[in-house]
Amino acid sequence: MRSFMHNMRGASVFPILLTVAGATALFLLPNFVESTYALHIMILIFISVIMGTGWNILGGYTGQYSVGHAAYFGIGAYTTLILMQYHQVAPWYGVWAGVVVAVAIALVVGSICFRLRGPYFVLASIAVAEIFRVTALNLRLTNGAEGILITDIPPFKIGNAVVTDFMSKVPFYYIGLVILIFAIIVTWMVQNSKLGYYFQAIREDQDAAHSLGINLTTYKNAALAISVVFTSMAGSLYGLYVGFIDPSTVLALDLSVHIVMICIIGGIGTIWGPAIGAVILVPFSEALRSNMIAQALIDSGIISENSRIGAFLKDQLSHAHVLIYGILLVIVILYMPDGILGFARKLLAKRRKEAA
Amino acid sequence: MAILEIKHVSKFFGGLAANSNVSFEMAQGMIMGLIGPNGAGKTTLFNCITGYYPPSQGDVIFDGHRMNGLHPDAVCKLGMARTWQKVRPLAKMSVVDNVMVGALCRTNSLKVAREMAIERIKIVGLENRAKVLAGSLPIGERKKLEVARVLATQPKLLLLDEVMGGLNPTESEEIIQLILDIKEIGITQMVIEHDMKAIMRISDRIVVLSSGEKLAEGNPQEIVSNKAVVDAYLGGD
Repeated sequence: MRSFMHNMRGASVFPILLTVAGATALFLLPNFVESTYALHIMILIFISVIMGTGWNILGGYTGQYSVGHAAYFGIGAYTTLILMQYHQVAPWYGVWAGVVVAVAIALVVGSICFRLRGPYFVLASIAVAEIFRVTALNLRLTNGAEGILITDIPPFKIGNAVVTDFMSKVPFYYIGLVILIFAIIVTWMVQNSKLGYYFQAIREDQDAAHSLGINLTTYKNAALAISVVFTSMAGSLYGLYVGFIDPSTVLALDLSVHIVMICIIGGIGTIWGPAIGAVILVPFSEALRSNMIAQALIDSGIISENSRIGAFLKDQLSHAHVLIYGILLVIVILYMPDGILGFARKLLAKRRKEAA
Repeated sequence: MAILEIKHVSKFFGGLAANSNVSFEMAQGMIMGLIGPNGAGKTTLFNCITGYYPPSQGDVIFDGHRMNGLHPDAVCKLGMARTWQKVRPLAKMSVVDNVMVGALCRTNSLKVAREMAIERIKIVGLENRAKVLAGSLPIGERKKLEVARVLATQPKLLLLDEVMGGLNPTESEEIIQLILDIKEIGITQMVIEHDMKAIMRISDRIVVLSSGEKLAEGNPQEIVSNKAVVDAYLGGD
């Protein structure tokens, strides 16, 4: 038992060091990176990691596959932006207002939908998100299909000193990074607490969990609330960063699927799964969307621009990102059902076994 | 004083009476055997007692509390725990984590829960399997894990639903010994079992159910010589 504890400690020091080193590197990065496009991609990755990490608490640890998390992303974004644009509430209060509204709505939705299990819960979560999308599309408060365009973000002051005026991408980078680290720490705390054990017990077998003294409704709602905090914050950050939201971007089914994909590809129910998933998926889909892949193939001389294939790719590849998303998902589910992280762990364990 | 009183409990599914007017009492520290042919309503009675179904009529009184309508988690917290006929391991969690989930019913500290879990794992004899994933255990060990997990909830009353089902004679013998050990600790048990030899050996009293009704109640000797029971099992006229 003693050597077991020792091993556990020995194994846990290294990842912590690695995490701290990684976080430090990310904090210093904007000092060295001039390219605003690189920062843009990093901010998009951060937002995806935050929402993926949020979903992971509910979907990954508790096993409740919500395919409607765009609802809470959108509610966070709308609350923050409406308060800022029409009621002059500064976004650093607005973000928390978004969290409160999103969690309150989530708990109402949860206490209804958590009676359902498995695929029925998934369907209900999609339906709920669609209700919010259609509502936002028709409400005057949310400005319908026109969405909300923000004019400018008031500068962030402490006392009279201006901390940042939000003129560049750098403040968004740091805000994203801080929320991301917060989300990862919360996940770690959940995993190493009674909550984490109860969440996983519910995922593995609800009836067994129930008979072991776990109040299913309470703990599912707890998982949902934690999950929605981060999803909503990601939404607010996205809205402030992009400066424009409408129902078809922040409340779309596409977005709900994207959140789930990040986790499935990275590895469900693990601390780093969503981060890995986002690091792979976001640049990939950006590259497809901005036609970078086709252009790179042409530039490198692999395919001639004048050939039929070259012209086809240049015209069509950027429209195919959803298709490629789908193919990627099929491959991951078939060959790496535990995601990239699970797959890597299995390989490591196998190698260790062979070495022993 | 009786730790469990079943008073005129009936459970209807539509027009079908799975249990009708079943009454008996259990004294502190005893082992009660619950037997009956397939479909006699044994598991339904378990479900009524542990909160999975509210009884349609009658009362279940445990340790002075009226249990009707309480949810399974509340029932567990009051000190009544059950195992399942079809084992339900938390497959992707290790053996010790499985038992810790049970222990966390009584504590919020993982450290305390782990100590409690390791103690229970030793009682059932799975100590060298503690770090293995529950999903990879063979059936015999899954049944033991199930018992360790409910023991960790610190029950006053344990309801075991066919813990010997599907086991070979050696494994069954181990479980019998385990049930007797648990009795030594002072935990009252109600046991559903199909293995007649085993049930006669371990039970202090036996209740026989047939077609949802209580057919007989008594000590093992009385039950084996009861004509109604023999008829129900062997299909007399």
